Amino acid sequence: MVETKDAQRTTADPGKREFMLDVRTQDMEVNMGPQHPATHGVMRILVRADGEVCTGAQPHLGYLHRCAEKIGENVEWLQYLPYTDRYDYLAAMNNNLGYSMAVEKLMGIEIPRRAMMIRTICAELNRIGSHLIAFGTYGLDIGAFTPFLYMFREREWMMALFEKICGARLTYSYIRIGGVFNDAPPGWLSEVERFCDVFEEKWHEYVDLLMVNHIFVQRTANIGVIPRAMALDFGLTGPMLRGSGVDWDLRRDMPYELYVEIWKSGCFQIPLGKGERGTLGDCWDRSYVRVMEMMESIQIVRWCLGSIASGPVIADIPKTIRVPNGEAYAGIENPRGELGHYVVSDGGKVAIRCRVRGPSFTNLAVLEEILPGALIADTIAIIGSTDIVVGETDR
Amino acid sequence: MLTSMLAASVPQTGTNAINDFLAGVKPDYVPGWAVPLTAIGIAVGLTVAIISVVAMFSVWLERKVAGHIQCRYGPMRAGWHGWLQPIADGVKLLLKEDLVPLGADRVLYVLAPALVLASVLAAMAVYPLAPGFFFADIDLGIFFVLAMTSTTTIGVVMAGWSSNSKWSLYGAMREAAQVVAYEIPLGISLLVPIMVAGSFNLLEVSRAQTGFFGLNWYIWPWINPFMLPAFVLFFIAILAETKRAPFDLPEAESELVAGFMTEYSGIRWSFFFMEEYAAMFLYSVVGAFFFFGGFESPLTWGAAKLAGDGSVLHQVAAGTTLVVKGFAGVFLMMWLRWTLPRVRIDQVMTLGYKYLTPLALVCVLGAGLWEVFLTPILPWRHG
Amino acid sequence: MDFRGILDRLQVVGAPGLLGHDLPRPPDPKDKKDKGRGGDPFVWVEPEKLPAFLECCRDDARLSLELLVDLSAVDPSKDDPNLWVVTHLLSLALRHRLEVKCALPKAAATMPSSASVHRGAQWHERECAEMFGITFRGHPDPRHILLPEDWIGFPLRKDYVFPDEYHGISCK
Repeated sequence: MVETKDAQRTTADPGKREFMLDVRTQDMEVNMGPQHPATHGVMRILVRADGEVCTGAQPHLGYLHRCAEKIGENVEWLQYLPYTDRYDYLAAMNNNLGYSMAVEKLMGIEIPRRAMMIRTICAELNRIGSHLIAFGTYGLDIGAFTPFLYMFREREWMMALFEKICGARLTYSYIRIGGVFNDAPPGWLSEVERFCDVFEEKWHEYVDLLMVNHIFVQRTANIGVIPRAMALDFGLTGPMLRGSGVDWDLRRDMPYELYVEIWKSGCFQIPLGKGERGTLGDCWDRSYVRVMEMMESIQIVRWCLGSIASGPVIADIPKTIRVPNGEAYAGIENPRGELGHYVVSDGGKVAIRCRVRGPSFTNLAVLEEILPGALIADTIAIIGSTDIVVGETDR
Repeated sequence: MLTSMLAASVPQTGTNAINDFLAGVKPDYVPGWAVPLTAIGIAVGLTVAIISVVAMFSVWLERKVAGHIQCRYGPMRAGWHGWLQPIADGVKLLLKEDLVPLGADRVLYVLAPALVLASVLAAMAVYPLAPGFFFADIDLGIFFVLAMTSTTTIGVVMAGWSSNSKWSLYGAMREAAQVVAYEIPLGISLLVPIMVAGSFNLLEVSRAQTGFFGLNWYIWPWINPFMLPAFVLFFIAILAETKRAPFDLPEAESELVAGFMTEYSGIRWSFFFMEEYAAMFLYSVVGAFFFFGGFESPLTWGAAKLAGDGSVLHQVAAGTTLVVKGFAGVFLMMWLRWTLPRVRIDQVMTLGYKYLTPLALVCVLGAGLWEVFLTPILPWRHG
Repeated sequence: MDFRGILDRLQVVGAPGLLGHDLPRPPDPKDKKDKGRGGDPFVWVEPEKLPAFLECCRDDARLSLELLVDLSAVDPSKDDPNLWVVTHLLSLALRHRLEVKCALPKAAATMPSSASVHRGAQWHERECAEMFGITFRGHPDPRHILLPEDWIGFPLRKDYVFPDEYHGISCK
């Protein structure tokens, strides 16, 4: 762990540029990023290494800070929606959903059933897409080039589906306050069904090629172990938490939208890390949770397709939304963890405060604790297993 | 006197043939000592040309293989199915800025890629390209090859150190450790076919596997059952020697950007890559010679039957066979690269020292015992 | 437990620093100016006692609020003399949430750090500190996290004025 003394040494005087410690013969200070193939975005990690062993790590953030929260206080409620796409750009539907739910909670409006169905389908499909990237790029970091491209094949199809429904491939702004933007075009739902069928076959391919590959297991098992107590202390959520064996998923434990019904129908399970291939809470467990979650999302999508309702897709709300005075917090299960939006309103057109609790930001803090003691090659494996998107870390 | 001295130091056969030919056609005004020098020059030029073509073809092959394994096409625009792509890449690299990083050790930085490529080119000298044509027929054939290909390590460490970059240093250190570790199983596993053949010379070993329509190839278990495990160990060792996945830590792209090659660009970088592909091909050809019959194939027998042993057609057929076998090995290495993830450095070292070396020693012991006790009683091993 | 239950439990165990609570309510029909308040209920806690309060919530078996979800701040308006430091807690065992608010005067925005109670609070407090100018006493690593180390001003305060230039780069 980095001590305060070291922290002060790397802090520059105001106005001076930050510089690294001198290279001593025993400890080498190596800079990972901001430009680095494995840090999943523009992030910098100062790693102090004694040979190949890491003795200290300090993440430096802020390279992608785009003042989302400040902007939230300056634009109208609906105008803020495209900004929500852009923090966790790999799971934009979920971000839209989180923000919309917070505002809808404060407004106290009812969402039509068909809208909730379509929202759930889109959110779960996006969860699959996000986990495909997380797992694929994790394979890339470990050195397996091919599974990444196979997973992108499915992700391309998912993006094509989203393009058909809302016109965008990555940042959708489709799930709006009150429902969704427009109805699914004819044939979309049956194409989603075909996607589910094909995906289930391909899923087995990914597992065989990467998940149970002996070299992959060797690289990720017993690495970066996060015990339960540490996970709770750091406030981790999502696969980081479930990988350590903690049975918590907002979709089941604090259900929102349709998840009460979906859970009752018994169509999906919550995969947990079990320490099957190594220690409980290691990198393999977290990848395992993500891979299994993809299958569970398919079951949820199938349930929704099976009980799709007809009707309006957006609630009857005025064009210019005025949210009543008050504050609300809505947390949803993002692919990376609990995405929370805390909105404060004074009854006007513009928010007083739009706080975004990004799961990647909280999950990243644990690196300061688990990186020391790992080898440099393991550093990459551990960073990859946290599945961070720097857009969400920095907002 | 000088001429005879020079003539005496010229290596045999292929270069000799060129030397004799040139001596025959030499006009009178050209001095005598120019002939061996020209002969050597031509031989070296041919080696460089062959390696360059091999490397360029490998570059194209790698990209197409990678593409097709990954459900895409690979280069398609530069020529038919991208066959001009390596030439385009070469031209691009030649035109790049000649960059030496600030603070880099200039002499070592420039010398490193040259040393690396020169080692591999030197190893090429003892390869018979056809049963009657090679540049140097020395009895220490394979030993010389292994020795020369190991000197590339010096070049890699020089590259890593002189780049004045921590990432390069990491890559160079890993590479040195890995190559040194895998030299041992490489050499020991090769002892098995050397024992059976009784010679280090590549041509001798190839000749020992002729006859019986390919049933004499050393890989078959009835020749010596320890050949197959020895080949497997040999193949794993050459993957580590050429720094190919799953042992490509020294150039681990996602971790160290490009390892020891991070600071290199342009033609210097292409030297490293040429060395990698050339080494892959050369090791693969060694495998072909020692385990898979060398020059033997239906094509060669057909040519020998048709035009006689030692004829030009036979030589060409034999050469083609060898190249095809070499590239089959190269293809296998590429296939593995795009399928398997990377093994971590300490796991690489564990595998090399704790598993492969003892297994190689067991193979040699078993093969030796087989040779001594069982070969006399096996009818197909006589004669 | 619902909010009422959590509140009762907090009072029973004598949670340190508990000042009061605020429930959502519809607008008062007699007062035209009253807008009412929608959304979530929360408790008011004294800023100086926040770490002790969080520890109490975490350790009590009937509250079991083990996870610190978020620690952020709000500047309600230019005229309001206080900042709000808002903490969201989550209980995995009992499946409930609690929102905790502290009113911190802008003129003296300092309070003890909760990093010793929840390790995850460290980074959240760093962000609060740089965005709102709140000093968390006893914080093990009080550097800026998202903003450059030499940024002047506290961006998320309502009276923040954007600088004209930064290191020679024009900000207009």
